[in-house]
Amino acid sequence: MDFLMAFEVSASGLYVQRKRMDVIASNLANIETTRTARGGPYRRKMVVMSAKPMGEFDALLARKVEGAEIDDVVEDNSPFRKVFNPSHPDADKDGYLLKPNVDLMVEITNMVMARRAFEANLAAIKTTKQMVLKALEIGR
Amino acid sequence: MAEGVTFTRAFAALQKAIGIAQKRHELISGNISNVDTPDYRAKDIDFKTAMAHALESEDSLRLARTSEAHMGPNGDGVNGVNGPGPVQETGEWNGYNWVQIDREMVRLMENNMRYRTATELLLRKIAILKEVIREGGR
Repeated sequence: MDFLMAFEVSASGLYVQRKRMDVIASNLANIETTRTARGGPYRRKMVVMSAKPMGEFDALLARKVEGAEIDDVVEDNSPFRKVFNPSHPDADKDGYLLKPNVDLMVEITNMVMARRAFEANLAAIKTTKQMVLKALEIGR
Repeated sequence: MAEGVTFTRAFAALQKAIGIAQKRHELISGNISNVDTPDYRAKDIDFKTAMAHALESEDSLRLARTSEAHMGPNGDGVNGVNGPGPVQETGEWNGYNWVQIDREMVRLMENNMRYRTATELLLRKIAILKEVIREGGR
């Protein structure tokens, strides 16, 4: 167990939250996208995270302390939004247009959560730093 | 480094720790300055491995080299850093290069903590020596 392992754990948290923000940005940018390479409207994407043990496999505490990493980016299979818009070139023969299954409120909520989680990791880093520096002052 | 009653092995070990931290600082700073360089690969040294390496080469030098014909322990310098040190390529491909800025910033700080710890220990070691000199001279 490394005495500065907490930094590496917090760094993995920062990275994961920033990557989560990438996916949220992609969802927001494509909130009205009706054409994709695979055909059909854009599908909302989600980040799946997994815990990663930080240290050597033999050290007990290192096995218990886990950082975060991105396991996968998956697509949301919920149905697309259906709006009536016959003038749109991608509308079907009844005049209905399929729009991405991106919900603005959900994305904004996730964005706030990603930001707060990022800030929490920064706060953890700051606290760890202060603790180490305070420990160096023992006996001065 | 001279070794004996005054300059104990702790001095040599701390010197190495500071050396490795300094080298790491250079590498991490390099990674940060190349955050926008296409295809740049982040570089780093594993502190623990480098330290073990540096101490081990020193140990085996002292124990095993009884003849000039003996080979050096690992072929590189005693310092472990000045030689062809164990610099590794790290990082994850982000579609542009191999630098993750948040990871590098945290590593920079983590390394800074190591540096400060080693220098603090060195300062305290020197403080003990000073105390001995002062008290002994009375």
